[in-house]
Amino acid sequence: MAALRHKLSSKFERHVSDQIETMPDEELFSFHTYNADEGEKTAYSNYSYWRSTLNSFKKNKTAVILVCLVVGILLFTFIQPLLPNQYDPNLVNNDPSTGIQYRNIPPYILTLVGNTDYPEIKETFWFGTNSIGQDLWARIWTGTRNSLLIGIAVASIEALIGIIAGVLWGYVRKLDWFFTEVYNILDNVPQTIILVLISYMLKPGIKTLIFAMCITGWIQMARFIRNQVLMIRDREYNLASRCVGTPTRRVIAKNLLPYLVSVIMLRMALSVPAAIGNEVFITYIGLGLPTNIPSLGQLINDGRQLMMSASLRYQLIFPTVVISIVTISFYIIGNAFSDAADPKNHI
Amino acid sequence: MNKKEIILSAKDVEVKFDLRGQILTAIRDVSLDIYHGETLAIVGESGSGKSVFTKTFNGLLDKNGTISKGELIYNGEDLAKYKKDRQWLKIRGHEIAMIMQEPMTSLNPLKSIGDQIVEAIRIRDRKISYSKAKNEAIGYLSDVGIRNPEDRFKQYPHEFSGGMRQRVVIAIAIACKPKILICDEPTTALDVTIQAQILTVLKEMKEKYSLTIVFITHDLGVVANVADRIAVMYAGDIIEIGTTDEIFFDPRHPYTWALLSSMPQLGIKGNDLFTIQGNPPNLFTEIKGDAFAPRNPHALKIDFLKRPPYFEVSETHKAKTWLLDPRAPRVDKPKGIMALQDLTAN
Amino acid sequence: MIAYLAKRIGRSLITLFFIITLVFILLRQMPIEGYFENFDKLTDEQIQVGLEQMGLTDPMPVQLANFYKHLLHGDLGESRRYRANVAVTEILAKKVPISIKLGSLSILVSLLCGLPMGILMAKNKGNFFDKLGTLFIVFIQAVPAMVYYLFIQLYGTTIIDVPLLFDASKPLCWVLPVFSMSLGNTAYYGMWLRRYMVDESTKDYVKLARAKGVSEGKLMKNHIFRNAFVPMIQYLPTSFLNTVVGSIYIESLYSVPGMGGLLVDVIKKHDNNMVQAVVLLFATVGVIGLLLGDIMMTVIDPRISLSKKGGGR
Repeated sequence: MAALRHKLSSKFERHVSDQIETMPDEELFSFHTYNADEGEKTAYSNYSYWRSTLNSFKKNKTAVILVCLVVGILLFTFIQPLLPNQYDPNLVNNDPSTGIQYRNIPPYILTLVGNTDYPEIKETFWFGTNSIGQDLWARIWTGTRNSLLIGIAVASIEALIGIIAGVLWGYVRKLDWFFTEVYNILDNVPQTIILVLISYMLKPGIKTLIFAMCITGWIQMARFIRNQVLMIRDREYNLASRCVGTPTRRVIAKNLLPYLVSVIMLRMALSVPAAIGNEVFITYIGLGLPTNIPSLGQLINDGRQLMMSASLRYQLIFPTVVISIVTISFYIIGNAFSDAADPKNHI
Repeated sequence: MNKKEIILSAKDVEVKFDLRGQILTAIRDVSLDIYHGETLAIVGESGSGKSVFTKTFNGLLDKNGTISKGELIYNGEDLAKYKKDRQWLKIRGHEIAMIMQEPMTSLNPLKSIGDQIVEAIRIRDRKISYSKAKNEAIGYLSDVGIRNPEDRFKQYPHEFSGGMRQRVVIAIAIACKPKILICDEPTTALDVTIQAQILTVLKEMKEKYSLTIVFITHDLGVVANVADRIAVMYAGDIIEIGTTDEIFFDPRHPYTWALLSSMPQLGIKGNDLFTIQGNPPNLFTEIKGDAFAPRNPHALKIDFLKRPPYFEVSETHKAKTWLLDPRAPRVDKPKGIMALQDLTAN
Repeated sequence: MIAYLAKRIGRSLITLFFIITLVFILLRQMPIEGYFENFDKLTDEQIQVGLEQMGLTDPMPVQLANFYKHLLHGDLGESRRYRANVAVTEILAKKVPISIKLGSLSILVSLLCGLPMGILMAKNKGNFFDKLGTLFIVFIQAVPAMVYYLFIQLYGTTIIDVPLLFDASKPLCWVLPVFSMSLGNTAYYGMWLRRYMVDESTKDYVKLARAKGVSEGKLMKNHIFRNAFVPMIQYLPTSFLNTVVGSIYIESLYSVPGMGGLLVDVIKKHDNNMVQAVVLLFATVGVIGLLLGDIMMTVIDPRISLSKKGGGR
C-alpha cells in the first residue's frame, strides 16, 4: 500500500516537473483563472455525525463481536424452547423405571470433552440437572431470558421516565424546585436500601423487581437530561447557532442530540448489567422471584448452596459464566458506543 | 540593534503530527533567525502553525507530534535532537519561557498564586529558602503591576480577574529569568483596554529583564505596537518576513496583502470589510506549489506547480511568492493597503 | 462558609426526617405477622391485644409521633421474630462495631490499592498497565459482585486455611472478607483517579507548569495528582454506600456478626421492627457519607468555600 502510494506520488511529481519543463516561462508566469470554489476545498466538509459514529464503532472489533454475541444469546433464549428434545425448565424429571428424581445428573457436555462417567440413563441433560431433577440447560436459558428482559425493561423504563422528567425539569421552571428536592432526597439514600425496602413490602415477582429498580434509577437520567436542556439556552456554541439564525430544531438535532444520544445509550447499556446484578442481590437476600420463574440470580443462589462440593460445582459455574458474559458485553458495548458517539473521537 | 546577534536559529524545520494513523504536516520547512533583544511577531490565522512552531523551541509539542526534519540551534546546541525530558528541563523556563493564551485556565486553581511563582523560582534556584523566594515572588508581582502583592501572594487564581491572572502568568514567566519569552496570543482572550495594559507590562518587562520576545498573534493591530519584525505564517510556512515597517508599508506576498486588507482598522465606514475567501489548505495532504494559490486572485500557473523560494526584497525583507520573480507579470498591491500608508502618514 | 455548612447539615437532617417518616409509614403497611414471634399459634384476640399493646392500632400520626419520641430517647422498639422481645438497640450495639471495623478496613485497603492503580494507569495511558487495569475495572464493575465474592470464598478458603466460622479475634479470618469488600471500591477509585488525572494532564495550567520547567515527576505529584484527587473526595460517600451493599453480601457469606448479615437474617424472618431499624441505620450512613463528602470538599477546594453551591453534586 505504502509502496503504491509512493509510486503514485513520484509519478505525480514527475508529471509536475514535466509540466514545468515543458511549459514556457510566459505560460508559467501567466495568471491562473481564479476560481473562488477552489479555495473552499477542504477535507472536513463532508462530515456526517451518525456515519462517523457508526464507522468508529465498527472499528472497535471487540464491541462489534460482543453486540453479535448478545443479540445471539437473546435470540437463542427465545429459540431454545422451540428446538426439539427440550425440557420444561420447571419440570421435575423422574427416572421412568424407578420413579426417583434425576437428582444432580452431571452435564452431558462434559462427556463430549472426555469426561466419560455420564450415568447410563436414556435422557440427555446438556448442563445436567439440579438437586430436584430439573434440567439446568432449560433453566439457564429461561433464566437468562428473564434476567435480560428485566434488565432491558429497567433500562428502557428508566430512560423513558428520566427523559420525560428531565425535559419537564429543565423547561418548566416552576417544577425545578420540586425536582431538585426529589433529587436531593433520592440521591441521599442508598439505592440498595430502597430496593430492599420495596422488595420486602411487595409480593415477589418480575413486576415488583422492575418497579423497585426503576423507582430510583430514573432520577440520574432526569438530572442529566435537565442539565442538557439548560445547556440549550446557555452553551456558547448553541447561542452562536441561534444568533446566526439556526432554528432551535436544528440546534437540538445537530448540536445537542449527538451528545445526548451518546450518554443516554451509555446509561442504558450500563443499566442492564446493574439490573441483572440487583436481581442477583435481591434473590440472595431472599426477596427474589418465585422458583417457577427461573432467573440467573436464582440459579447462582441455588448453585452457591452446593458449591463446596466439587462434583456439583457445575451448577454454580454455568450460570456465573453466562451472567459474566452478558454483563461484561453490555458494559463494553455501552462504553464503546459512547466513545464512538463522542465527536471528539471522530477525525 | 544594529549589530544583531542570533539567539535562536531554525533551519528547515518540519513538524508532523500523527492523528490516528493520518499524518498531518503542520510546519513545512521553516527557517527563521531570532535576534537577541528583539520582539518578533509571528502572524497568521488559526491553524497556520504559529503556536506549533514556537512549541518546538521548548519541546512542548503534543506527544503525537515530532520534529521530523531540520535544526533548531540555541546556544550552540541543536534542540531538534533533544529527545529526553531531562534535556528539555534545562531549556524550559530558565532559557525559554512561555505565556499562553488563556489566563483563566493557565494557573493551577488549587495552588495559591504565590506558591506557583515560588515553584518557578525554586526550579532555577533549588537552595533558596521559602521566605527569600517569597520576597522575590512579591517583587515580581509588583513588577507586573499587581497592587498589594503581599496580600495577593496568598490568594488563589479564582480571586483574580482575567487581566490580573495574565499578569500573574507573566510574573511566573519572569520568575524563571528566561532569555526568550514566547507570548502565545497573550491578549486574545482579554478586553481591548486590558490588552493594552498587558502589552505595556510586556514592554516594561522586556526592558527591565532584557528579554527576547516572540509574540504570536493573529491581530496585526496588536503587532504594530510591539514588534520590531514580523513573520507572516500561512499553512505551516513563513511566507514573508521583514521589519514591521516593511510588512505594513511594503508587503509583497498576496497573502500578506489579504491579511492587511482585512484589518478592521482599514475598513471604510459603510463598506463591507475585506475578507479572505476560502479556507486554508488541508494539511493532511501534500501541498503542491504555493499553499495560498487556490485562494489567491493573483495566482500564476506556476503557483500551482512549484513552491516559490524566498525572494529578497531587502536585507531584512523576503517573501515566498513567484510574483517577485523577474519573469512574473506586474501586479499592483490592492488599493486598501496603499491607503494604510496614507493613513499613517497623516 | 458557616452559613453554607449550616445549610448543608440542615438539608441532610430534612432528608433524614423524610426518609425515616417514609420508611416508617411504608413498613406499617406490612402484614402484622412481622410483629409476633409465633403468629400462627396466636388467637385473633391475642393478636388484637398484642397490637394494641404495641400501639399499632393508633392512628398513623400518633404512631409516628411516638416513634420519634422514642427515637430521641434512643429507643427503636423491640425485636419480635429475630430475637423475641430484645431491644433493637441492644442487638445493634453488638453488631455495629464489627461492621464499622470491616467497612473501614476495606475502604483503607481500597485506597491503598486503588490510588496507586489509578496513578499507574494514568502514567501508562494506553500501555500494558492501563489495559490490565481497565480489564480489572470492567470485570469488577460489570459482573455482579456475588459472582466474584463466591469464587473468592470458594478458592480463598482453600488457599489460606481459615475456619468456616468467622472468629473476630483471628486476624486471618478478616483477610477474605476485607479483600472481597475492597474490590468494588478499588476499581472505583482506580477508574476515577485515572480519568481525572488524564483530564488534568491536558489542562492549560499543566502546560504552563511544564513550560516553566517543572519536571514530569513533580508535575504528576504536585499538580496532576493533587488536583485529580480533590474531585475524588466526592466519591467517598458512594464508597460508603458500596461498602454498605458489600457488607450485606460479605457478612452473611462469611457469617460475620455485623449489620449487613443482620439485614439478610431479619428479612428472612420478617421481623418488621428490625428491618426498619437496619434500613434506617443504612440510610443514615448514606446521608452522613454524602454530608462528609461535601464538607471535605469545601475544606479542601478553595474555589468552593466562598461561592454558593447548588443542591446535589
